[in-house]
Amino acid sequence: MVINLGTPVVESREQRLGTVIAWDGSASRLVKESCYSENGTACCGCRLCERENRGPFTQGASCSEMMVECQAGHVRDAVLIQHSPIGCGASQVTYNSKFRNALKMRGLPVKNMRVVSTNLDENDMVFGGIDKLENTIVETWERYQPKAIFIGTSCSTGIIGDDVDSVSEEYSQKLGIPVIPLHCEGFKSKHWSTGFDATQHGILRQIVRHGHEKQEDLVNVINLWGSDVFRPMLAELGLRVNYVVDLATVSDLAQMSEAAATVGFCNTLSSYLATALEQEFGVPQVKAPQPYGFAGTDAWLRELGRVTHRETKVETYIEKEHRRVKPLVEELRARLSGVKGYVATGSAYSHGLIAVLRELGIRVDGSLVFHHDPVYDSGDPKQDSLAYLVENYGDVAHFSVSNRQQYQFYGLLKRVNPDFILIRHNGLAPLAARMGIPAAPLGDEHLAVGYQGMVNLGESIRDILAHKKFHRDLAEHVTLPYKKSWLESDPYSLSIQTSAAGEA
Amino acid sequence: MSKVIEQPRYSCALGAQQTVVAIKRAVPVLHSGPGCCNKITSLIGQGESYAGGSTIPCTNSNERDVVFGGVEKLRSVVNGALQVVDADLYVILTGCTASIVGDDIDSVAQEFRDAGKPVVCAETGGFKTNNYRSHEVVVNSVIDQYVDAHRAEGGVQKRLVNVFATVPYQDPYWNGNLAEIKRVLEGIGLKVNILFGQESEGLPEWKTIPNAEFNIVASSWVGLGIAKHLKQKYGTPYFHFPYLPVGGVETSRFLRQTAEFAGLDKNRVEAFIDSEEKKFYSFLERMADFLLEFRYGLPRRFYSILDASYAIGFAKYLVNELGVVPARQFIVDDTPEEFRGEIRGEFAHLTERRSVSVEFETDGGIIQQRIRQDENKTRALILGSGWDRDLAKDLNADLLILGVPVEYRLILNCGYAGYRGGLRVIEDIYDRVLDTYR
Repeated sequence: MVINLGTPVVESREQRLGTVIAWDGSASRLVKESCYSENGTACCGCRLCERENRGPFTQGASCSEMMVECQAGHVRDAVLIQHSPIGCGASQVTYNSKFRNALKMRGLPVKNMRVVSTNLDENDMVFGGIDKLENTIVETWERYQPKAIFIGTSCSTGIIGDDVDSVSEEYSQKLGIPVIPLHCEGFKSKHWSTGFDATQHGILRQIVRHGHEKQEDLVNVINLWGSDVFRPMLAELGLRVNYVVDLATVSDLAQMSEAAATVGFCNTLSSYLATALEQEFGVPQVKAPQPYGFAGTDAWLRELGRVTHRETKVETYIEKEHRRVKPLVEELRARLSGVKGYVATGSAYSHGLIAVLRELGIRVDGSLVFHHDPVYDSGDPKQDSLAYLVENYGDVAHFSVSNRQQYQFYGLLKRVNPDFILIRHNGLAPLAARMGIPAAPLGDEHLAVGYQGMVNLGESIRDILAHKKFHRDLAEHVTLPYKKSWLESDPYSLSIQTSAAGEA
Repeated sequence: MSKVIEQPRYSCALGAQQTVVAIKRAVPVLHSGPGCCNKITSLIGQGESYAGGSTIPCTNSNERDVVFGGVEKLRSVVNGALQVVDADLYVILTGCTASIVGDDIDSVAQEFRDAGKPVVCAETGGFKTNNYRSHEVVVNSVIDQYVDAHRAEGGVQKRLVNVFATVPYQDPYWNGNLAEIKRVLEGIGLKVNILFGQESEGLPEWKTIPNAEFNIVASSWVGLGIAKHLKQKYGTPYFHFPYLPVGGVETSRFLRQTAEFAGLDKNRVEAFIDSEEKKFYSFLERMADFLLEFRYGLPRRFYSILDASYAIGFAKYLVNELGVVPARQFIVDDTPEEFRGEIRGEFAHLTERRSVSVEFETDGGIIQQRIRQDENKTRALILGSGWDRDLAKDLNADLLILGVPVEYRLILNCGYAGYRGGLRVIEDIYDRVLDTYR
């Protein structure tokens, strides 16, 4: 499939990949219905897409603009302008906290993120917000002289049709820095992960540089705010890490084209950028299973070794790590086996976490992913992470797709009655806690990566299980905000209509 | 023309979803884009409460709704909400998408009401205004579309009052503040509809709003729009106390003025005030040795980066009762022009000797720049928000987080209003000062 960098607006996930946000069944059936290998190209009317028919009830979720905020807003020497009414700026609080803690974790100076809102009002809805956008760009430049300015659009500017592209182009020239429009109106895509792609699209178009010499030991690692696990790991192979997009500088982003390879820890996040870097700049994307569990990490490292010509070093490292980690994992297995876990996270990330849980002898009968991409941008079956999970670690009986609809979560958890859940993104944890189920919020998304990740996650789970008492007490004293009749219903009865009903 | 904002300290009009969340067993139903309710919750919603945050039903507007209108989807989501969410009142609120497109939400709400369902609506498209002002819009909509039809029998009840004192969640200490205000008003013999939070009886209480003898607005300007509306609708008079009463002097003043307005029995009122003041000052007395010995360590000046009610309330308490001197005072609630004169007046007459000028400024970037430019010779106290943490650290100042985002504090029942709140202020300021000691 071909990524089109020619237009300022990114093609949404559902257009490119056939993304679905509501589905219920076993993991193996989802693999089958995704037709990854036959399909390989964008949504083409496979059964999966036909089946999905958004039902009558929904709760608030997240939006593309928020993903722009947490990527473009976290480039250390850039500023993000939110071209929106002030309410869109409310989420700065969440992302500022992530930014600051991530800086601390990586040993960088802690500071607030720089975001400026154009603060649109009713007049602007009538007459357009372009004047304000220009003022804001000038103001931002005078205050901070950033290395780049990102402009995130909003639902309101999308509807009134502000020509953000022309203004961006004009000020790119005037200021001599990239001024980059990121089209991320919340209503334009059914899933917020399009916002990742929107940010990456803008960076690829206006920041990544052409025609520089390659750096044969540099590897782009596409991540968010996780702790620094890749630098020591790749150092063993004689490779340097270029962390992008979060916490990078504009020049880190510019040099992505010079790297020897691109890797990720989650296909959901890295699919677009990694594929486009290969297509447009010839930087090979490491097409392998994600680096979780022994099998996944082995395969991921071997492919990275092959692409960067470090095969021998990789084998030495694998052997050394197996020797070190296997006894630790065995010990954790002895303590954790028989415990039941549940994973509720972003799509491809859950595929990795389930693998790790199973390495630890934990039973996983259910998982909730916030969306599902039947295929990733490369179209390469080696990146079919769900199929890899099912083939190597077995099926997951209840594998549900839901864009974080809390009202379904009670019923989903009741199906499997887990002892704990792993959660990334808030919103679901409160409900689990009210049901007496402890949740690990996975603040550091790199926690479970690689060989050491199995040990880390195992230890975190032991910590969570120790909190059970608090949760049990809480469950005895809370009232759930849902009707009893609903809690006893099929969690998908208001979300997916069967094909027959959909056609009716 | 409104200007750019860095570090937002309030939300858009849709932020009034939190007004609904603060009413017992009420739930907002958003007709908006998919991210709005979680964005808002992250700034003004520590804790989901009963049915806030990710529980909030939302139409998650998509392109189709924007092009063809989203009324059908709204109808279906309200229907779903009635089946799924266990609540007694459902409040439809629009976001930018539905407000620009112009979906007719009134008809949808009316249809449900005609079918006997407790559904009301309000226009809160984000661009319309901020959540201070839309708090009034939402409260008035609930009154007009719900309370009015369900109003309690019996006409005006002597001594019953409705209190509009603070904007729930925008004031992060709203629950504690309202509890204390209710407590002291009951102390002087009133029966209080506090309307929001723990101490409210929820919707049965709302149904008696028209029966109040009078309304109290204890806030510099937010709430006046509700009191005026109630005066027009039910002829209920109102008493306006133009800031948050904090500490001994101001709380007693608040109670005496209220009592005078209501014509309450003076002996009873004075007896209550007397017993409260005794308690309040006895704590200070008992600590006098510590406070005085310690005096060299207290901040000398304070900056405010607060909304009008907090700024005036705290300035009066800090200046008149604790002897801390005001430095620059920033009012960050985007106060409507018509109310600014009175607020300037309050600061101009802070004490007989001291006059302070205030700056109305909503942009955190500018505010911090101005504070940094000040001569920073003596230790300062900053009354601000989580955004001001680095500023405080750089200036070697103490920071008391009173406004959103609170970020670095967990708030359960803490409040700063009234006698009890006044003591809490002292505890918390000293807490920060003592924490810097080796």
